[in-house]
Amino acid sequence: MNAPVDDRLAALRGSSRRLPYSARSLAALENNPRCTLRALLDSSGSDKAAIAARAGFPSPFGQSTFALARGNAFEAMVKANGCAELLRVLRETLHLTLPEVGYIDLNDVGGDGRPDVRHARTTHLLVRAALGQGDSTLYDHPMLRLVVGGHEVFLEPDLVAFRIDDRFHVVEIKSFPIIDEQASPAQVRSATTQACAYVIALRAMLEQAGIGPQAVSDQIILVAPKDFTNRPTAAFVDARKQVATLTRQLERIARIGDLVELLPEGLTFDLNLDADDRPRRPAEELTEALDQVDATYRPDCLNHCEMAFYCRSRARANASLDVLGPAVREQLGGIDTATMALGLARGQLAPTDDQTEMAVALRHAARLRAELGGAA
Amino acid sequence: MSMVSALAHLEAMETWRAVPLTAFRHRRLSGRPLVVIPLTMAGEAGAPLAVMVGSARRERTLLVVEQPRNRDQRFAFAASLGQIVMDYINSFRQDRRTDGDRSRYTDAPQILVPNPGGIKALADLGRMCRFRQVSGPYAVEEVVPEFGMWLTFLVDAAEEAGTSMLLPVTGMLAEHWATGQSTLEDQNLASLMAWISPPPGLSVEQALADAENPDVWPPAGPTTSPEFDNRDLAPAIRRFDTANRLGDPQALADAESDLRDLIAEQIQPTWRTMWNAVSLLRSVPEAPRAARRFERDCIAFTNYSDYQDSGALPQRKRDAAVGAARRLNRLERALADYEADMAFDDPFVLADRRSVGEAFAGTVVDAEPGRVVTTDRNRRVPRPRIVVRTEDPLRLAGDTKLISPSPTLPASHRAVIVSTAPDGAATLVTVEITGGMGRARVPAQGTVPEVGQRLAYLPDPGWRPNPQFPEADSMPWTHTAPPDGPDPESDDAAEEWGHD
Repeated sequence: MNAPVDDRLAALRGSSRRLPYSARSLAALENNPRCTLRALLDSSGSDKAAIAARAGFPSPFGQSTFALARGNAFEAMVKANGCAELLRVLRETLHLTLPEVGYIDLNDVGGDGRPDVRHARTTHLLVRAALGQGDSTLYDHPMLRLVVGGHEVFLEPDLVAFRIDDRFHVVEIKSFPIIDEQASPAQVRSATTQACAYVIALRAMLEQAGIGPQAVSDQIILVAPKDFTNRPTAAFVDARKQVATLTRQLERIARIGDLVELLPEGLTFDLNLDADDRPRRPAEELTEALDQVDATYRPDCLNHCEMAFYCRSRARANASLDVLGPAVREQLGGIDTATMALGLARGQLAPTDDQTEMAVALRHAARLRAELGGAA
Repeated sequence: MSMVSALAHLEAMETWRAVPLTAFRHRRLSGRPLVVIPLTMAGEAGAPLAVMVGSARRERTLLVVEQPRNRDQRFAFAASLGQIVMDYINSFRQDRRTDGDRSRYTDAPQILVPNPGGIKALADLGRMCRFRQVSGPYAVEEVVPEFGMWLTFLVDAAEEAGTSMLLPVTGMLAEHWATGQSTLEDQNLASLMAWISPPPGLSVEQALADAENPDVWPPAGPTTSPEFDNRDLAPAIRRFDTANRLGDPQALADAESDLRDLIAEQIQPTWRTMWNAVSLLRSVPEAPRAARRFERDCIAFTNYSDYQDSGALPQRKRDAAVGAARRLNRLERALADYEADMAFDDPFVLADRRSVGEAFAGTVVDAEPGRVVTTDRNRRVPRPRIVVRTEDPLRLAGDTKLISPSPTLPASHRAVIVSTAPDGAATLVTVEITGGMGRARVPAQGTVPEVGQRLAYLPDPGWRPNPQFPEADSMPWTHTAPPDGPDPESDDAAEEWGHD
């Protein structure tokens, strides 16, 4: 990435500390890739939660301690005694013939937990394994590195397994249940997307040692509680499509410069924090800055983006059809606002050439509603 | 979504007020529904935390699992809830009417939950309970597996369009009212109610803001808000655990009642909203054909009760090939019938379908009432033809079989599209009348539309024979599966999570 773009991004963030990407925020890229506001906030490393809160829309995302406790307890149980439970599942449920098993804990290197040290050790071990010189099979919390938009991001998969068909497999340990061999599609999807970031990082690491991408499998191994028990079960999840999507999104981040160039001079989302991390920038001024950037709001954003409530209020203020969601949007292709749709339906607006067909349909629908005694 | 519904949502958005989408309530509303509000614990698989249940606003029972990770307590909870639900279900198994050589109950239970998540929570609870053993190690109370099977039956029934034995209230409300928000937000009971009937003195906008604030309106479940979990629930459960460990009866009783109070506070607003929603729905007139669908519910209820009485096996974990094909057939069928029923009953729904060209209405501009054809069997039958001029954007092709909701025509009226031709901005549809004209050579009076008459047509979902599937003993091994046994991990009943 070239320096001017980086400077512009740093200016957008302002005085706050840069927030690095995480597997989670990378995965979020897939959800709404066309949103300019999110792309800018993420690639500048701005604190979306703090910005949304200052703009008057504190984000409701919190994690329940129960979910955290359960997740940690489950992962610990699966990995206990050199991953004994995990091996049982891989062998019994997935019918894998794993040869003798060596387990390596990469949570720290001789007590040193710094990411770059762990990353060096991970690289050393995994490259050796790929070249057929190691005898280990399971790598616990390896430290991977990915360069996103010119910045290093450290990623930590739950586990990487080797020697399943002589390929690396990313293992995701999740605490949502697989009941009767079925799990919630939304949760599986988010787990897979997260794992995709690891696949990409792993491939990038091996590529530097001259090892091709086929060394890392596109199949993720998902380990989760079976039915209502604490015992794990596992399933292969095909992540080919999501890996391709995420790869594409990462390439787009590299082109963030195109977006930055379109921004007005001097735009910043700086909160101007004081010594106690309290924002000093007036809320109106911040909102004004945010309003200058396009946002692609979808109701679905409410589930994962910190800025969603801000974007929704903006969409409401503009009477944008985005507020109603894709079902209505698709029905009214080519029309952006409720004001315009109702204007066309009531014959108060003249349609453009593209809108003629839609205007006929709208006026017909309005007539039907009027026949029913509706007010259209 | 059709154009007319989309327009309704736009109006709601413009006026900040919910707008009716239908003339009727197409779901039956029982005179005595059982409202069930399940809460589950975050992160755990199907771990119930509490439930508020009752068949009248003032008759509520709150059941709480003090330590949801303890599986003994879970099944004790399932037994208490199971008893309440089974008492309710059994109260509908009193009055039986004979109809030919069959007899059936004259009423059926109706369980109402706040949202689709509530149905999922009951499905998980049903799955957890139905394979339990009542004897041997980790035995549960007798009512538990029975309750599990009934829940599974109700959840399966809820998948079928038009049934009324288990329904999410948000679904019933959103079927009748269009709001200016998305389908996703419509699943939040409080914000849906904010659109339809905001609390006195509040605008919809203010009521919406409250509805999304978990401190004002706790979520309607099944998950609780993370802030509540971290701030209130976790410490309360910890106090209960400590008291339990120390064996101090006074401290234990205190901790228990604290926990109950805490959860009651979370669940009560939803309880009130549920009953407000029920009264609101009661004020909407019920669709004429809901009664006929309810009869099908009664038959399904009777059949399943009788099966339970004859010693039922728990439902399969996954359908085998024939079972899956049968279920799919039933679901498709039910959906087509329900959609046709709604359009037949309700001018709003008919308008919906007209706006996307799946139905049409217009004026008869030409008629050939005396037309007679000779059938393959050499019989001469009346086959009058009419031409309807419609301004609807018709998308139905030739040979489509039709029914008509027009009150001037007999309900048995059947017709088929012969051809369509454009006429300026309108369409001329030539329709041949094939049924509902009486048995005589000449059509009975008033069964053939006349020139100048206005009428509407929509596609006939039709009668389809029930597909034949092979019997169990003539099935190839590739398409069979052995019955499910109890869960092999019988030790899960004894498992307990470490306390945090």
